[in-house]
Amino acid sequence: MSEIVTSLDASIIVYFLILNSFYALLLVLSLPEVWEHTRLADDEDLVRLQETGAPPPISILVPAYNEEATIDASVTAILTLDYRQYEVIVVNDGSTDATMERLQDAFDLYEVPRIHPEVLATRPIRAMYRSRTRPRIVVLDKENGGKADSLNAGINASRWPLVIAVDADTLIEPNAMLRLTRPFLLSQRIAAVGGTVRVANGSVIRDGRVLEPRVPSRFLPGVQVVEYLRAFLYGRLGWNRLGGNLIISGAFGLFRKDYLLEIGGYRTDSVVEDFDVVVRLHRHLRDRHVPYVITFVPDPVAWTEVPETLAVLGRQRERWHRGLILTMWQYRGMLFRPRYGPVGFLGIPFFAFGEMLAPVVEVLGYVITAAGLYLGVLNSGFAVMFFLVALSYGMILSFWGIVLEEVGFRRYRRWSDLGRLLLFAALENFGYRQLTVWYRLRAFWSALRDRHSWGRMTRTGFAPAGGGPAK
Amino acid sequence: MTGYTFLVVIAVAQSVTLTSLLIAIFVNRWLRQRRLAWVLPRRTVVDEAMKGWALGEVGPELVARALEALPSADAVESLVGWSGRLSGERWRGLAVVLDGRPWTKRLRAAVRARRWWRRRQAARFLSVAATPADAQLLVRLLRDPHPAVHMAAANTLQRFVDVPLLRLVVERLPEMAAPIQTHYAGVLRATGGAVVPLLIERLHDVYDPGLPRFVEFAGRLADAGAREAVTALADHANPEVRVQVARALGDFPHAASVMALRALVTDAAWEVRAQAVRALGRIAEPETLPDLVPRLADAVWWVRLRAALALMRIGDPGRDALLKAEIGAQPDARFVARLILGLTPQALSEFAA
Repeated sequence: MSEIVTSLDASIIVYFLILNSFYALLLVLSLPEVWEHTRLADDEDLVRLQETGAPPPISILVPAYNEEATIDASVTAILTLDYRQYEVIVVNDGSTDATMERLQDAFDLYEVPRIHPEVLATRPIRAMYRSRTRPRIVVLDKENGGKADSLNAGINASRWPLVIAVDADTLIEPNAMLRLTRPFLLSQRIAAVGGTVRVANGSVIRDGRVLEPRVPSRFLPGVQVVEYLRAFLYGRLGWNRLGGNLIISGAFGLFRKDYLLEIGGYRTDSVVEDFDVVVRLHRHLRDRHVPYVITFVPDPVAWTEVPETLAVLGRQRERWHRGLILTMWQYRGMLFRPRYGPVGFLGIPFFAFGEMLAPVVEVLGYVITAAGLYLGVLNSGFAVMFFLVALSYGMILSFWGIVLEEVGFRRYRRWSDLGRLLLFAALENFGYRQLTVWYRLRAFWSALRDRHSWGRMTRTGFAPAGGGPAK
Repeated sequence: MTGYTFLVVIAVAQSVTLTSLLIAIFVNRWLRQRRLAWVLPRRTVVDEAMKGWALGEVGPELVARALEALPSADAVESLVGWSGRLSGERWRGLAVVLDGRPWTKRLRAAVRARRWWRRRQAARFLSVAATPADAQLLVRLLRDPHPAVHMAAANTLQRFVDVPLLRLVVERLPEMAAPIQTHYAGVLRATGGAVVPLLIERLHDVYDPGLPRFVEFAGRLADAGAREAVTALADHANPEVRVQVARALGDFPHAASVMALRALVTDAAWEVRAQAVRALGRIAEPETLPDLVPRLADAVWWVRLRAALALMRIGDPGRDALLKAEIGAQPDARFVARLILGLTPQALSEFAA
């Protein structure tokens, strides 16, 4: 028995050693990336680009399901974007609340005939509207079919070659679109670009714009600020260098429409349609030997509201992880296949064996360590030291995210916000991390039962005109 | 070494790393704030000097002196920012005054730098302050392998008209992505057609594989000087050329353009027909009704849609033709006519955009 415990313990240590070494690699690779992007972002002459009309026209898709609390603020914020040629396609996905009425009231909609070809199959469209007050807006009112179905309906109705999916609870910074299209100006191979999503909770918001980014004082949203910084600023930047970027956030990602149409749009039976679509894009383009780049740029920013209660957080994290498990299972054929290059050899294995299995191995580690201590196989000093080293490593990764934020972007100007960031980065590993491990473990159970439900996200809504921090 | 000792070593290394990261965060913030406090007053001095220079109250020497007090990156930023607000010949005067100063020499030398961001800074500086002596440097920048550098260098062409540089741009048109081409067209529109003769030369070479891109660029420039050369390509064997010709002719409202487009609406390639009916809609010449009406029954949806929209743009005669089609025998024409007649004027203008 003690031999089993010892060898299992050693295996777990080796597993985390490999996984953490990979994180360290991402961390190192994120440095030159952030440096390059900062150079581009700092010097960018956005005004000149706008004047010459170089930025390509884009269609912004806003799927909305029961978003009455935020829909008009979100769409209004999108309409104030500093971008010349774009349309906003709001897709009301059979909301049961007053989302459609809020849109009607806010934008004085009138019904128009549908004249676009419906290339992607979707749930029936009830009506298509345009706005008398804001000509850029198109509203599709359709029967409920989920986010992916709404996005497909939006793609059908879009008229421009680039489409971006934006969550209805997302506030986009005015110059974010200009920045997001930059890779399309610099390279002809770009298939998709993702921008940074940041946490809006606690910030000063007026008229759908984040006027002063703040770090919330409450633990749960506060700790998610650190989490988002870490995930976006070093995780995805590091993957840029490795060429295996698998995640373009569903809340803020720009895609070539022709490629989306080629792969049949978003899959309606996936719970993480943003992740699924990127993996399929990789597979499709690699299968056809199309030279392409799927990249992440850190300086375009969209702000989103994160869960403030454990119940909502639990549902969200469970869904994310369930989606990861199901996607990895679905695309297991790409694993270690040479034709998929860095995606097959690094991206998919990392997500499958690292991100997906990590909570299982972590819990197994806790159990084995406890068993080892009970059986007297493990030295208690060793176990405590190992636990501290593991926690400290997590802290280094979070601090690294803050370093990248401070060096490259500096959104949080107040010293008090910096203090909170550091505090949350330190506290994250005591309780919060273990909690998310539990949520992710639950995802294995629901994945086995193949549940496709999204879970309900309760929006508190952004602060009304007149200011004051969002809740 | 035992496992425990190994962990202790790692823990010590981690503590050192964590402490270093903390120090880096605080020192970085403190240094930035100090730098900002140093730069801001100097930027204000530059802005005041620029305002005075714009009003003709002070000479360019004062501006140059104020710029000299800034770090070169901030000086370039300031120059580029003001260049967007102030136009005219005066920038040549400032360029002459700036020429030969140590910091501008360093910026010019950066054209050969290994790091692309340094070359880009040089390009941004020259886009405002290039003198005729910089022509060779600009050629190098326009050929730079990094797209951000040559896009920054492209802005130079707005103020600095030089035939070899323009020729270089025209030569590179076929390999440019559409947004880059649009950027160049936007920049070159301000030069008063200096590039047109060079473009016409290329349009005359009917066997050039890059011809579709040259025609496309001519359309983007929308300079009347290129109209004849574009029209002459309306019967080119390559359908991609004809698509671009049809698209471009919409920007050249002229009897010859209309004549060429009337032929193109019956082209074998549907993409050509769609662009041709769209262009006729933009020109909105009532004489073209007999060419547009049959397109309502075209085999391809996009051509039918574009034809109906074009008819609406022609005004009452076009609307009458649609009303007739709405009760006509051809089902496709009936459908598209009903669709377009149901649109509000605002929706129509949005579709026509």
